[in-house]
Amino acid sequence: MKKFLSIGFLLWCIFSCEKQDLLKQGTLVIGIEGNPTNLDPRLATDAYSMRIDSLIFNGLTRPDENGEPTPDLAERWEMPDNRTYIFYLRKGVTFHDGSKFTSTDVLSTFESLRDPGFGSPLVTTFELVEKMSAQDPYTLRIRLREPHAPFLSQLSVGIVQKDIAQKIIGTGPFRLVRFSPGSSVVLSANEKYFRGSPRLKGVIFKIVPNDLTRILELRKGSIHFLQNNIPPDSVDDLEHNPALAVLKRPGASYAYLGFNLEDPLLKNRLVRRAIAHSINREEIISHVLRGLATPATGLLPSFHWAYEGDVERYPYDPEKARKLLDQSGYPSRSNGPRMRLSYKTSVSPLSKRIAEVLLHQIEGVGIACDMRSYEWGTFFSDIKSGNFQLFTLLWVGVVDPDHFYYAFHSSSFPPRGANRVRYRNPELDGLLEKGRRTLAKEKRREIYSRAQKIIARDLPYVSLWHLYDVVAMRKELKGFVIYPGGEFYSLENAWLEHR
Amino acid sequence: MKRFIFKRFLLAIPVIVGVSTLVFLLIHMIPGNPVEVMLGERALPADAERLRNELGLDRPLSIQYLNFLSGLARGNMGVSFFYRKPVLPAILERYPATLELTAASMCLALIIALPLGLLSARRPYSSTDRLSMLFSLFGATMPSFWLGPLLILIFAIHFDWLPVSGRENALSLILPSVTLGLGLSAILSRMIRSGLLEVLDQGYITAARARGAGESKVFLLHALRNALIPLITILGIQFGALLSGAIVTETIFSWPGIGRLLVQAIEARDYPLVQGCVLVIAISYIIVNLAVDILYAVVDPRVRYEK
Amino acid sequence: MKNRTLWAGASIVALCLGMAVFAPVFSPYPPQGQELTRAFSTPGRDHWLGQDRLGRDILSRVLFGARPSLLVGIGTVMFSLFIGLTVGTIAGYSKGLGDELFMRVVDILQAFPGILLSIALTAFMGPSIMNIIIALSVLGWVGYARVARGQALSIGSREYILAARAMGTGEARILFRHVIPNLLAPLIVQASFGMASAILAESSLSFLGLGAQDVPSWGKMISEGTEFLSQAPHLTIFPGMAIMIVVLGFTLLGEGLREAMDPHRQIA
Repeated sequence: MKKFLSIGFLLWCIFSCEKQDLLKQGTLVIGIEGNPTNLDPRLATDAYSMRIDSLIFNGLTRPDENGEPTPDLAERWEMPDNRTYIFYLRKGVTFHDGSKFTSTDVLSTFESLRDPGFGSPLVTTFELVEKMSAQDPYTLRIRLREPHAPFLSQLSVGIVQKDIAQKIIGTGPFRLVRFSPGSSVVLSANEKYFRGSPRLKGVIFKIVPNDLTRILELRKGSIHFLQNNIPPDSVDDLEHNPALAVLKRPGASYAYLGFNLEDPLLKNRLVRRAIAHSINREEIISHVLRGLATPATGLLPSFHWAYEGDVERYPYDPEKARKLLDQSGYPSRSNGPRMRLSYKTSVSPLSKRIAEVLLHQIEGVGIACDMRSYEWGTFFSDIKSGNFQLFTLLWVGVVDPDHFYYAFHSSSFPPRGANRVRYRNPELDGLLEKGRRTLAKEKRREIYSRAQKIIARDLPYVSLWHLYDVVAMRKELKGFVIYPGGEFYSLENAWLEHR
Repeated sequence: MKRFIFKRFLLAIPVIVGVSTLVFLLIHMIPGNPVEVMLGERALPADAERLRNELGLDRPLSIQYLNFLSGLARGNMGVSFFYRKPVLPAILERYPATLELTAASMCLALIIALPLGLLSARRPYSSTDRLSMLFSLFGATMPSFWLGPLLILIFAIHFDWLPVSGRENALSLILPSVTLGLGLSAILSRMIRSGLLEVLDQGYITAARARGAGESKVFLLHALRNALIPLITILGIQFGALLSGAIVTETIFSWPGIGRLLVQAIEARDYPLVQGCVLVIAISYIIVNLAVDILYAVVDPRVRYEK
Repeated sequence: MKNRTLWAGASIVALCLGMAVFAPVFSPYPPQGQELTRAFSTPGRDHWLGQDRLGRDILSRVLFGARPSLLVGIGTVMFSLFIGLTVGTIAGYSKGLGDELFMRVVDILQAFPGILLSIALTAFMGPSIMNIIIALSVLGWVGYARVARGQALSIGSREYILAARAMGTGEARILFRHVIPNLLAPLIVQASFGMASAILAESSLSFLGLGAQDVPSWGKMISEGTEFLSQAPHLTIFPGMAIMIVVLGFTLLGEGLREAMDPHRQIA
């Protein structure tokens, strides 16, 4: 009997001792909620792949903490005219397998992006490119058909080696060790990184789809870091955890209620205004989001360089909402609601909870809403095809105001762009076209200020809020900085300090 | 007997064809298509056309289907649109995880259910029986997405004995298989009990008793053997259910199995991957069914000779 | 009547049905009425079962939740049982080609992952209770068919059947008088579990976000409440108990029926 117990104990040890303390060894375990489908930066369609790629690859440029493009693989650049760029590439950079980085790698990456048969979601990034050529191994010349202000920030896409069919080999601070689909992505430090070897020995991305499980892993210590995937209700608890540090700061993720502007009921601007006035953002922010958001007046957050605050606002005013509905021909009735609308959402529990409160508020002025939640693919497909009346979504990581073109220009109806609400305004179109062709920041500011005023007046979206960026991490991690797009660039300098 | 097995193998082919046809139709019925998902919201019509062409999606459905079938006959399930890798290896990579979970859950379920069912049938309506019925009730009505987190809170957080989630070592298997197995054991134990009670009344039991066979012997040998038929049926069905239906448990415990792979493939409209997953599940199921039918024949000789 | 099991089961079921039908009468508050400032309040005088994440009254939601949960449970079981019993009995009893054909169809359907079907159907037809019942029944009948067929195969070759046939009794009569009654017992037990599994399947669909919309089903309440398991267990305990009571009722009803139907097989 004793023998049996001691063998059992030994086995137990062997099995459980495998799990050594990764943190002490200098490896950071980050929890992510979904499976990255493809780590090739040219093909990455989901946010997880893109964030992991920000550690494995470098682009020509990289956004800084304010979203401005700064040198990455391109040391500097010149613009002989307003639509030509000459990039001077860094010398002495090697890929993880030792081969040298040169301009041919950049060219072949961009060529594959341009090739529609390759199927990259970034294919339209290069649709304005007229000609690309490499002057020498460290100089690249790109000429666009017309000036394009956002072009530099779009060049943060990771550069892969030429002729390599999807081996995940980049120039970045970490190299890929193993990708176990559904389980984890293991990265280890690249000592030969051109900015100096990272101080972390490695980073492991652990895939944990369920919200509750992820928080429990963090509590237990098997995950050390979570960014922007923490349910608001759990934040308080985490803040009181002595082993953890919680960073919160206003972010740029923009939540909005979208109207189908081709719908007969919602075409009417009075109706849209009524709905906007019937929403009590503050209530949702404080009770559902636990204060982790700021009310929004438009797509851009208040700290963005192009932000225009002097726009029409729609504070919570149910009385006004009811009057507007009366005015627009939808009086209140004794035998039912004034009107009935359908509201589509995805299956995320938080989205549904927000929807329940939102719709309850709207119901308060006499508009009954049927909420329908769909599996993501169906939901998104319906939104793109115009098969909806109301929906709520999030714009994440908007850095350049050219995003307005993508979201509101009349040529951007899906699938060409993201004008899901089917908004058409020729005056706005003109402004947005000018905005992307103008390179001078001050001029762009003026243009986009007018654009924001028009959008706020026309109400294709009801601006809801800007979510906070929330990071919960082990106190040992030092030197982490939050980037507006959620990228992990700062991990190349971060370190672990054990007491 | 050999002819029996061979015949069943042959019959498996129309089943496979049937399943793949059904999947093919179903997934093309769902709104949305992979090109949309892959190119996101910056798809120039020309680019979308090119990609569709590249992926072979612009050909008529019937041609696509025939291509798929002919590939299948050669053992090639195509290439996943999203992973850009061949489908079959991608699925087989996740297969061991699913197999582990399924096997562990079923074993656990049997270990709990057999003694419980036996004891209950032995003394029906006794306090043991009532207790086991209560246990059954709990097990059958507790959803796995509730039981799972509860077990995690108790055994992984409060008592720091087990990992929270993931598939790292043998300890990781415990909580997910208990979550799945408990519910299954509830059903199994009642099935065993009722099957045994049914059978205990049959003529040949009385005859065995008359022949002077001891009570236990009667019980175990004759009664159990005949109560096995519905039990084996249920096990066969549950195996299939577990293979593809463990998705809730896989989500809670971050278990990298086929269930989650299938759901992700559906969300991404990754047609080849969806078809591949369903086929792999179907084929596993067919193999299990074959085993079940063989067991039928072994347990009940009358079935065998009728064939 | 002596059959206590049957009485107990029937009363519980009646109680639950009553809950479903008279929910609007008995609910102290509207089930969708929110009180955001009083989230998670524990059971007390104003709210007997407490309040959930959005401050909604749990008692009212449990009462109203009987409707979608029972609808899905009973609807699915009825459809599945009927189809499965018919198909399975015919298959197992007639053997030969009919049996083979039916079993191929059963194989195809059973090898098919239910989740794909549920997503496809709800995506295509919209997420409503009827569609959920259809989605669950399309695959659910198979379990009953297999059990029915297995039993029919076995029973069909028994001595008293052969004897009856030899005596010249018509096939239909044999089917109805001898085969089916002997099939019913395991099927009834399975049906009572079928209730539980249909209600649980709906709650799994709710967990994935595809369950009954608008109305608060018990499964949806448990699924939403599990997130707060350590802070507010009462969110999940009460709907869980409701499911348990319903399942208990149907199980007792099933066992009671089984006893009542065949007196000479009553287990003392």
